[in-house]
Amino acid sequence: MSDKEEREIQRFMELDSNKLTKGKERELAIQIEEDIMNQNEVLADQINQEFKKYNIKSIDIVGAIGAGKTAIIEKILEKLASKYRILVICGDVTTRVDANRIEKHNAESIQINTGRECALNAYHINQIIKNKDLNNYDLIIIENVGNLICPSDFILGTDKRVTIVSITEGEWVIEKHPMLFKMSDVAVINKIDLAEILETDVDKMINDAKKINPNIQVITTSAKTGKNIDKLIEIFGLEN
Amino acid sequence: MKEKLEIIRELLANNQEIDASKIHILMLDLFKTQFKGLHVENYIGDYPTFIEPVYLGDKVKLGDDVLLGPNVYIGKNSEIGDYVQLTNSIIFDNVKIGANINLENCIVAKDSSLNFNNPNIKNCIIIGKADSEEDLKKISFSI
Ligand SMILES: Nc1nc2c(ncn2[C@@H]2O[C@H](COP(=O)(O)OP(=O)(O)O)[C@@H](O)[C@H]2O)c(=O)[nH]1
Ligand SMILES: [Mg+2]
Repeated sequence: MSDKEEREIQRFMELDSNKLTKGKERELAIQIEEDIMNQNEVLADQINQEFKKYNIKSIDIVGAIGAGKTAIIEKILEKLASKYRILVICGDVTTRVDANRIEKHNAESIQINTGRECALNAYHINQIIKNKDLNNYDLIIIENVGNLICPSDFILGTDKRVTIVSITEGEWVIEKHPMLFKMSDVAVINKIDLAEILETDVDKMINDAKKINPNIQVITTSAKTGKNIDKLIEIFGLEN
Repeated sequence: MKEKLEIIRELLANNQEIDASKIHILMLDLFKTQFKGLHVENYIGDYPTFIEPVYLGDKVKLGDDVLLGPNVYIGKNSEIGDYVQLTNSIIFDNVKIGANINLENCIVAKDSSLNFNNPNIKNCIIIGKADSEEDLKKISFSI
């Protein structure tokens, strides 16, 4: 099988459509998928050890497009940028919009454009940290590509994973996307300032998250009003 | 940044003797002090993966599934093949890089072409045209 064919198979995998392959190709596709996953986990583990070695706290923030990931990070930076040396890594398919927003808050930011990939993976993060002097940071926040599905395949080696959903995504958003909540430490229900207008059943959302993952911490926030941002910072184990 | 790149370009043009260690120091300094952000407005091709800082000159052609960064500069009219990965590297103008080549900590002089596929090449200056890895005129950095 040529290199190009192998890569094509990898593409099917990324699309989670190995059903598109058959026979020998399918075997190879499954093998490659396993290799990729193992490779990601090995790298994530290395990254986590690096962070620990340098005493860096690390958070991976995932959630749908527009849930308020960047807005919440901005709010956190307003409170923490003077106390912690923070690096924010922003993942998006294209553009530098988010990194530009972050830089306004006196934090260093690095944009990753993933092109055709729908999530960051450990390789991306490793490429950054091996080119940085980690002595210069106390806290690394990673904003993943806006997506409630793909990031569940790729852990990044952070201490905590946080999934953010928002009131505007509808009260079914959590029960429809259980995978990410299963593997997250914290679930944030953002845009709580809109709950009343949209008549959203917030209790249902909270219960759904806890049903999916009894160990998850759930918090409602508003990046607009600043509600519960302090509490979120506390949940992250950071000092206000 | 332009000035430092120009100095490297001139040092590379000196055919008698190329001072690789001087060039290497200049490159690392450039990455450390002047490279920042994404400057990728005018390339031709699919949506690649960029890990900033990345600088692309005018009409750079990028193949499928290219990964660039961190610390990559590509000069105008250069062509980068499918699945290529470049990290900590400077590619000057009019360069051609074959498919699935992986360059790390390298400088490729202008008008060079790597007309072959696959290898991982690290820590060196590449000058001229080559149809195989053995053909390649490489000057290694002492690391
Ligand atoms: N009303 C309201 N709007 C919000 C809140 N958080 C974010 N937004 C808005 O939602 C939009 C998307 O936010 P953004 O941070 O870009 O989302 P991201 O794609 O998850 O990073 C922006 O227009 C924000 O101003 C919130 O808590 N309340
Ligand atoms: Mg964002």
